[in-house]
Amino acid sequence: MKQKTFSRRLIGRVLAYLLAILIALWILIPIYFITVAAFSPKDVIYSWPKSLLPQTISLETLLFFINAQYVLDSLWNSVKVALLTLVISLVIGAPAGYALARYIFPGKDAFRIIILSTRAFPIVILSIPLAVTFMQWGLYDKLISVALLHVAMALPTTILVTSSVFIGVSKELEEAATVFGCNRVQAFTRVALPLALPGLAASAIFTFVLSWNEVFAATILTIQNRTLPARMFVQLAASPIPFRFAGGFFILVPAVVFMFFIRRYLFSLWGITLK
Amino acid sequence: MRKFTSLLAVVVIASMLLTACPTPTVEPTPKPEEPTATPEVADYGKVAFISTQCVPVEEAEKMRNVILADFSGTTEFIPADYATFEDTVLAEVKAGKGTIDVIGALHGQFPTLLDANALQDLTPLLDKVKGRGIPDAYMELGKLGTDKQYFIPWMQATYIVAANKKALDYLPEGADPNALTWEQYRDWAKNIYEATGEKKVGFPVNGLIHRFLEGYIYPSYTGGMVTTFKSAEAVEMWKFIKDLWQYVHPQSMVYEFMQEPLMSEEVWVAWDHTARLINAFKERPDDFVALPAPSGPKGKGFMPVVVGLAIPVTAPNPEGAAALIEYLTRPETQITTLREVGFFPVIDVEYPDTIAAGIRAQGEAVSAQAAAADAIPAMLPVGLGPRSGEINKIYRDAFNGIVVDGKDIETVLEAEAQALQTLLNETGAPCWPPDPPSTGACQVK
Repeated sequence: MKQKTFSRRLIGRVLAYLLAILIALWILIPIYFITVAAFSPKDVIYSWPKSLLPQTISLETLLFFINAQYVLDSLWNSVKVALLTLVISLVIGAPAGYALARYIFPGKDAFRIIILSTRAFPIVILSIPLAVTFMQWGLYDKLISVALLHVAMALPTTILVTSSVFIGVSKELEEAATVFGCNRVQAFTRVALPLALPGLAASAIFTFVLSWNEVFAATILTIQNRTLPARMFVQLAASPIPFRFAGGFFILVPAVVFMFFIRRYLFSLWGITLK
Repeated sequence: MRKFTSLLAVVVIASMLLTACPTPTVEPTPKPEEPTATPEVADYGKVAFISTQCVPVEEAEKMRNVILADFSGTTEFIPADYATFEDTVLAEVKAGKGTIDVIGALHGQFPTLLDANALQDLTPLLDKVKGRGIPDAYMELGKLGTDKQYFIPWMQATYIVAANKKALDYLPEGADPNALTWEQYRDWAKNIYEATGEKKVGFPVNGLIHRFLEGYIYPSYTGGMVTTFKSAEAVEMWKFIKDLWQYVHPQSMVYEFMQEPLMSEEVWVAWDHTARLINAFKERPDDFVALPAPSGPKGKGFMPVVVGLAIPVTAPNPEGAAALIEYLTRPETQITTLREVGFFPVIDVEYPDTIAAGIRAQGEAVSAQAAAADAIPAMLPVGLGPRSGEINKIYRDAFNGIVVDGKDIETVLEAEAQALQTLLNETGAPCWPPDPPSTGACQVK
């Protein structure tokens, strides 16, 4: 009997691991191919049949990217826009999420739906009016305008995620803090906020990645101060494959690096500790 | 946890600093004035130049670093895909406030901009470019059917055949490589296959194959592009393409630019845009020959591509814009453009020795193609406005259905002809060459 439950458990574990490996491969295989191709010289990329292992390492296409006039500027623009988006959406979204979590007010459920409904507007049909409005306000071709639009796109998720994070932080703890002499603000900053930080970090990651990957708003609202994905999107579509791989690698790396640094906080959201 | 708080603090402070500092606009460092250029030493300031041409990364870098480097002023070269380009220009005109000074686009991309009153009348500029030898027919295109000049021709391109010299040994008997027929082209491919066991003829199916269909094979076999879409001649033509395809390199399905497979000798013979063949001629001029496209029963269909320069009504720096147009149409700039990005001059120039032999060879093939007695020039689709990409999809779909999936020719043509007619009716586009002029929307017969 014991033997049976043991082997059943073992099979369950093996299946779980297999599934995990499958999902990991699903993501890693394309990344592997992009990386190999980004470091290969052009003639290897065009050769046929293709080999799975890197043949010769070459920095030719990657160096072209790094030396191209716009790439580093655009990369820097992307970082600035992503950070701006992250900060603005947390500053606006976290209090809204807190309010949704802690207070009962008339129209609360309608409010939740309305927040989500902003995502239902296809941004493509708004493109020209949006650009025209930004031009008239003198915001066109500025990084802040891209960041503002990214905030508009990120806010629904930020608000809903932060509200569920604050629901997870017990209200009694804050009440206890007020009993021990904190005022409301102190109770929030000293007790609720530190407990909510991992969750806030997770929502910040979503925001950062959303802004980092977003192409359409960035293409339509800027002309000279473009973010990296916007530049790449326009130029790579018409470029030979080796440059597409190099460009893909270039976009991929910062997101992976960012994830690597922040993964500890992401895991702690799900109750896994990584020491 | 404390570590994270400090990390967050750093992020917050950093982003505050970023918003506080004005974003520096990055401008290429102006290069010293060329002493031999026109005597003016004025600095025209910053000129923003958006273009639907020279978009691939390498070409864009050459525009920035070489072709525009000697302009007296700073240029910001902005490569853009057609949709972004059009949205941006139209939005600027609607807002009445602009950042773009000069527009570089294909001839067929201007009519929509003119309809939106986005283009300045460049008639006053004509004095500056007079005497450069831009053909009247091209200047006429720049009027867009009005009596005002809306764009100044900038450069031209077309599609030709490039062949490795090794392939010339397998030419069918008695065939003149400079006056091939498409049948001979197929026999050439067949000969190579039978002798070497390899399929050495390539097409850019993942690249500009739709231009091959619209501007080359359709006019050559049917005399038209749109009206003859499902004619009896078209059916014969598709049978021929299927026949030819037996000897075409299977990797053709993924080729975008033919220069790379030519240089790796994966293929020996290829049809493509001159700018997408140029590296082969530039890097190995002794190994490749440039040939005019073959002819069919109706003649030699070919597609000349004219790129023009215009100034939007909202240009913040119109003097700089005019100066840039004048600069780009100078003989020395036109030669540099040819050398760097493979677009041919629109003006009358002597090719100097600094132009690589391979490029000169390409230029000769281009001239031979245009001057052929049986030439049928086919224009890029005009009048479809923002939907001009859709017509390409129709030709590509027909190709995929018939050649790739092996479906029945008549059935595929019938279905695609309907899609084509719907597109023409909805846009109201009249026929363009090589189809005879029409009143009202062009009709598929």
